Amino acid sequence: MSQITIQAEDISIRFKDRLLFHIPHLKFGPQEAIYLTGGNGVGKTTLLKILSGLQSPTTGTVNLQNQSWFARLFKSNGKNGVIYMHQTPYMFDGSVLDNVCYGLKFALKGRQEQRSEAITALRMVGLETLANEHISVLSGGERQRVAMARAWVLKPSVLLMDESSASMDKESIERQVVLAKDLLERGSTLVITSHQQNALTALCRRQWCISNSKLIERADLQLIKKDKDNYAFG
Amino acid sequence: MNIWQTTQDAVQLLFSGDMALWGIVGVSFSVSLLAITLVLVPALVIAFALAYGKFPGRWLILSLFNTCQSIPTVVIGLLLYMTLSRAGPLGDWQMLFTQKAMILGQMMVCFPILVSMMHAAFQNSDRRAWETALTLGASLPRALLSLMWECRFPLLAAVIAAFSRIITEVGCSMMVGGNILNSTRNIPTAIALESSKGAFAQGVALGMVLLILALGLNFLLSIARGKAHLRTN
Repeated sequence: MSQITIQAEDISIRFKDRLLFHIPHLKFGPQEAIYLTGGNGVGKTTLLKILSGLQSPTTGTVNLQNQSWFARLFKSNGKNGVIYMHQTPYMFDGSVLDNVCYGLKFALKGRQEQRSEAITALRMVGLETLANEHISVLSGGERQRVAMARAWVLKPSVLLMDESSASMDKESIERQVVLAKDLLERGSTLVITSHQQNALTALCRRQWCISNSKLIERADLQLIKKDKDNYAFG
Repeated sequence: MNIWQTTQDAVQLLFSGDMALWGIVGVSFSVSLLAITLVLVPALVIAFALAYGKFPGRWLILSLFNTCQSIPTVVIGLLLYMTLSRAGPLGDWQMLFTQKAMILGQMMVCFPILVSMMHAAFQNSDRRAWETALTLGASLPRALLSLMWECRFPLLAAVIAAFSRIITEVGCSMMVGGNILNSTRNIPTAIALESSKGAFAQGVALGMVLLILALGLNFLLSIARGKAHLRTN
């Protein structure tokens, strides 16, 4: 897994006359976990999509968007190493295993190796017994777990998690935390958005907040445990 | 005219291995299959670009394609006839009254249908499928293939509709093909000719072939697209 530093300069998103946000400078590197907060509609998802290269900003650049259209036509996008996880993950029509194997197909690995890595990932999220089930039988929380396994198995340099713990129970979040910690130890960067503070957001040591079209960074925050289930920044 | 007797004669004709009849069937299917194969990939790419791309004039182009669907095949045949006739701009190609002209005509008939219906399929697809494929490392063509698999039901419906339209059209084939036996006579033009002569048995037999092959095609496509699972999100 390659470690990368994402740097964005002067990025803004504008819908006709409405400015969603403008960020003059943004930089984050390996082994950082960042908690992105902000009210509904401030542009958290849009920012993550820009950072992942799925959406172009109205102005500005992100250092990862340097792959030409020609290169994207013939090469897999895997070298980019940035994975964006949707708020409600999309599952391809197929089995749970097919979905976890999806990205591995582009990593040029053998079928047997793909399968064994996917099964390991499913074991980590506690869904190995459902590997051959069609994805349509899974609940929302289980799909979130499959999405996490699907991302983890690729060992991304940057994982952008958009409300990925929204429909998860405590046990599922804990499983997600195990995978997130593993990625951090391997040198990945995590950006997590969530409206609820939980064990996943507790991994974060930096916090970004989008407010009034600006990104405010509160560096070096430590998450302290207030009581059994609630966490707070201190 | 006795309908029962005509049907019996038609069945007999089908199973007697009448070379003229099966020759007509061969022309019909080779021409239509080649026509739809040649336009399939460009239609897919244009439909995708119209649904997922953001560029000025997108809706104008789409409206033009939608309008082209309603042009009668005989009008397309007439335009092509004028273009390919000796006095026309492409007269030197000497394509009039050949299978190539029929293929060209049928491509013009089915292209707008494919673009319009495939656009509707992509427009109703889930954008997350495209984004998920890209973010998990797929190249653009692989991501497009994944998206096509996700909306294979409406896409195959578009192919069936377009193929049905060209395999059954008379106007264009008659105009630019000329209904020449063993060369450009296909099922619809043969039915029109035989019926005008009062020889209904061959017309009914050819009609049966069309129905049977349409049924076979639908079975094949049903197998190809696999099981259906309704999405819950």
